[in-house]
Amino acid sequence: MRTVVVAGTGKSAFGAFAGRDLRSLAVEAGKKCLANAHMRPEQVEAFYLGNFAGPSFVGQNHLAPFVSTALGMVGIPSTRVEGACASSGSAFFHAVQSVAAGLYDIVMVVGVEKMTSQPTARVTEILAGAGDTTGEVKVGSTFPSLFAMIARRHMYEFGTTREHLAAVSVKNHENGASNPDAQMRKVITLEQALAGKPVADPLTLYDCSLITDGAAAVIVTTQERAAELTDKPVRVLGIAQASDYVALDQKSDITTFPAVRAAAKKAYASAGISPRDVEFAELHDCFTIAEIIAMEDLGLVERGQGGFFSAEGQTRRSGKLPINASGGLKSKGHPVGATGAAQICDVVQQLRCEAGERQLVRHSLGLAQNLGGSGATCVVSVLGR
Amino acid sequence: MRTGTVYTETVVHIAPEAFQKDVPYQVAIISLEDGTRVTARVEGERVQIGDHVAETHQTEGVSFFRKDK
Repeated sequence: MRTVVVAGTGKSAFGAFAGRDLRSLAVEAGKKCLANAHMRPEQVEAFYLGNFAGPSFVGQNHLAPFVSTALGMVGIPSTRVEGACASSGSAFFHAVQSVAAGLYDIVMVVGVEKMTSQPTARVTEILAGAGDTTGEVKVGSTFPSLFAMIARRHMYEFGTTREHLAAVSVKNHENGASNPDAQMRKVITLEQALAGKPVADPLTLYDCSLITDGAAAVIVTTQERAAELTDKPVRVLGIAQASDYVALDQKSDITTFPAVRAAAKKAYASAGISPRDVEFAELHDCFTIAEIIAMEDLGLVERGQGGFFSAEGQTRRSGKLPINASGGLKSKGHPVGATGAAQICDVVQQLRCEAGERQLVRHSLGLAQNLGGSGATCVVSVLGR
Repeated sequence: MRTGTVYTETVVHIAPEAFQKDVPYQVAIISLEDGTRVTARVEGERVQIGDHVAETHQTEGVSFFRKDK
């Protein structure tokens, strides 16, 4: 397999934009990415679009060529990839695989979601479609409620507390406040996080990620081609995707995500590293409990210790293992289909030492973990300079 | 009717349109005696992990349970 390199990244603004449609967001990210990689659209040989629910959110199907042609790419294979909130992580995985296998030399990934054109109740309903609509969803489970049930069980088995969850939220708000690209730039206190409006017990508004319009793009290529284009190449050292049951009640243990463990194991093996080599990570904090469990499943902390580790401040930018220095899905925003690609953009930004005020001291090896649904799809990427 | 124990639970406060009339309502994953699990609604008294519950009825494929005293 050939070594794959990230040649460029680009993000649209993240937020609630009444006047912006899905395609304009995707095109903004794509154009920035092409400029960042010093490439013209004609050079791109294949295109993968990560998008979860464009047909439901905005009524548009056939999204991949709808976007790629608007970016000036006509004629190339253009494919939409859907894996719930891991849609563009999965699109990135497929792009990397295709370059590694020698099918193409230059591939572009765009992730996009336009969510705010629907009222919250309808957004909740559309997102629930990432669960099992023949069972848990019919009963009245929402995504927050599935993760609330995961949190309850994690608390019961390991002694994780509401304060632990709140510490994750406070830290991600702190990071987001110094990220000019974040949707929510607001520092909060532990007391505020604990007193949040209940969504699904024990989760409050402060435990839940945002509803966001946004897009993110990444161009991958070979090491040889990258050398001609950029003096800051970032290598994909290891990447893997894994799957699991969609319905939570089919899993034997809901306090762990087997797909995360499987993807991590493979990604670490191909990168030739162990979890303790990871210097920083962007993790899928769709809910605070998800960040805690991700750390455990990735082997970054012992099983059951994620909450305690967070409450000690070890995941802050000044801590032993900075997690979500971008502000995470909680503050940066979570345009679901764009999140996986946005995480890659954020890891690359740190590796290139371009994160400004949020720049981490140790920044030579970073990890991104993108989760779909309540764990049925997971992509783990290990990137390095 | 089936009986089991509560594996995990939550009380939903923000719901999709179709369930807003029921808010707040309790959803739980029940470990049934045959070893399988089912996601169900819990009516009446709130339940916690480990509580024994019994099914009261099914409506349109949704199971409803109550605390079993």
